[in-house]
Amino acid sequence: MIKEGELELKDYIDEELISLLKGKKKEKILLELIDSICKNKEIPDHKELKDAIFYREKLMSTGIGLGIAVPHVRIKGIKDLIVAVGISKQGITDYETIDGVPVKIVVMIVAGEKQHKLYIKFLSLIVSKLKDREIREQLIEAKNEKDIYRILNS
Amino acid sequence: MVFESKLNILILIGLTILLGTTGSRLFKKFKIPQVIAFIIIGFFLGDSVLGIINKQMLSSFSFFNIFVLGITGFLIGGELKKEIFEKYGKQFINILLSEGLLAFVLVTVLVVLLGNLFFDNTSFVWALGLLLGSIAAATAPAATTDVLWEYKTRGPLTTTVLGIVGLDDGLGLVLFAIASSITFAIVGTNAPAISSVFLHIFYEIGGSVGIGILGGLTLSLIVRKMSDKYGIITFSLGTIVLILGFSKLIECDVLLSAMTAGVFVTNYIPRKSEEVFELTNELMPTLYILFFTFFGAQLNLKNLTLPIIMIAIVYLIGRTAGKGLGANLGARISKAPKTVRKYLPWCLFSQAGVAIGLSILASQRFPGEIGNSIVIIITTTTFVVQIVGPLAMRIAITGAGEAGLNITEDDIIRESKAKDIMDTTIPLIYEDMSLTQILKIFSETDNLFYPVADKSKKLLGVITVDHIKNSLMTRGLDTFLLAYDLMEPVIAKASPDLPMVEVQEILSRYNLEYLPVVSAKDEVLGFLERKQISRKISTKLIEIQKHAEALS
Repeated sequence: MIKEGELELKDYIDEELISLLKGKKKEKILLELIDSICKNKEIPDHKELKDAIFYREKLMSTGIGLGIAVPHVRIKGIKDLIVAVGISKQGITDYETIDGVPVKIVVMIVAGEKQHKLYIKFLSLIVSKLKDREIREQLIEAKNEKDIYRILNS
Repeated sequence: MVFESKLNILILIGLTILLGTTGSRLFKKFKIPQVIAFIIIGFFLGDSVLGIINKQMLSSFSFFNIFVLGITGFLIGGELKKEIFEKYGKQFINILLSEGLLAFVLVTVLVVLLGNLFFDNTSFVWALGLLLGSIAAATAPAATTDVLWEYKTRGPLTTTVLGIVGLDDGLGLVLFAIASSITFAIVGTNAPAISSVFLHIFYEIGGSVGIGILGGLTLSLIVRKMSDKYGIITFSLGTIVLILGFSKLIECDVLLSAMTAGVFVTNYIPRKSEEVFELTNELMPTLYILFFTFFGAQLNLKNLTLPIIMIAIVYLIGRTAGKGLGANLGARISKAPKTVRKYLPWCLFSQAGVAIGLSILASQRFPGEIGNSIVIIITTTTFVVQIVGPLAMRIAITGAGEAGLNITEDDIIRESKAKDIMDTTIPLIYEDMSLTQILKIFSETDNLFYPVADKSKKLLGVITVDHIKNSLMTRGLDTFLLAYDLMEPVIAKASPDLPMVEVQEILSRYNLEYLPVVSAKDEVLGFLERKQISRKISTKLIEIQKHAEALS
């Protein structure tokens, strides 16, 4: 477990969970990321994760503006934080964001039910990183998953 | 005897305790004091009906009866603190004399009047009247305190009743000694001189008080610096038994000795004595089951004839009227509170050990028709008043508003359910509320935990102050973090009817600081926080104590 103050993105970002998104709609890209997580990690219940992600979006969209979306949930049976990153070159226009800007960077965070502190810290860390315009532009222009991984961990 | 008893003493004791406690639980449902259940069960087990508890067994338990009576006396004495004497002393004397003497006079007169219709022998009738009159003055302390204990009473009526039942045993002894000496004079043989009668009374009371003071002093010196419970209870019991033993040895009154010791201890080491009496009191529930069941078993209602039944009825009328009117008169003279004036007459009906003891003494001093008649009349009437007395007492203490006022925090917890203690004013946090909205709620209330629900108020989770603290340490999240993101899952929840004892068990089992209270449909009804539970129970206790103090 990561200690407070020592939290780093590279400890949680897995290159295998980074993808260039194909879908153009919110629902489609969320499913792409959920599938990616479920394929690569041991998720006890695929349907539970899908339901939780969509339920959370129904409560309030996780599109936080500046072309960023951070869908996030905590569910039972997850031992450690799982992070999937997706980049959409064309942008998703139906994501319902605060500023109306189409979403191009999506970071999906799945945490365990009791990982409250880590979950909030990680959310804060990723949001503050993505608020840097230069990083955002580099991510959107990245050619492949490897580049995205490198930029995020820089 | 219907059944030849083949049970050994241990089986008998076990059976008695289990039957007694089962019966009392059944009676409790009908709001009947448990002592009645014990006596009725004993009566059925005794010689009068089943014969399972026979005379031989009972005689081997006579030491046990003295022991229970002694502890009862000691506990009653413990209630009589200096302040009580200062505050109620005059009231006690007035009430004691008026209820005791009026019962004596009325029973004597009525028995003599009726006795003359049935019997030709005037001296026999007068002897019967005087002896029954003197026995009528005593009130049963054990049955009375058991009802007070069962209903956890506190207030002026309770204090007065305890004072009176503790003291009128002494009055009964004095009156019995006087009545005996007059009876000796009437019936003619071996009459002791009146001076020797008074000397004997002085000896009996003086001896009892002397032994009580000595025993009380010894116990106080031993336990005053003692801190372990085991030591306190064993030394207390040991000393009480010694007091009873010495009192028997020099033929003094065991109840008065034990009561004097209780009075001494409570006033000599006031603070420490609370522990002594509290620990001793814990023994009483089990002791009383055996005491009253054996008591019921020894009541023999055979050999009843019409004149005896008629005299028993007259005795009951005279005693009830005398005690009732006398108590009311004494309370009026001493300007006792209204509740005492109104309800005390209902609290002095019980008669038991002392009355039966005196009747046996009468049968020894006056063998033959006088002695036998007295034993049968007292046995019969005891059976009646022991059934009626506790019932009347329950009505009185409830009417006076003193029931349930002598309780501890543990009692409140035992008697409460989740719905009685839960906080229903706690604001509900909805799952889609933002961090900003949640912070506003936190700033307006002082709870540490809040239930999170969906639109239909169905419980989803709980947000704690710690969660909020964590969120504040981060930046830029307040606009998009919702209660749904911040809440933690609910580990356990309670239904509104869940007893508080179980609530506390759940809290400690899961090491929780809170427990949400929900309906069958999982809707949030209230919230229990560990800290607020203790605060609420303390407040409830203080309210009850204030109410008890206001009564006096």
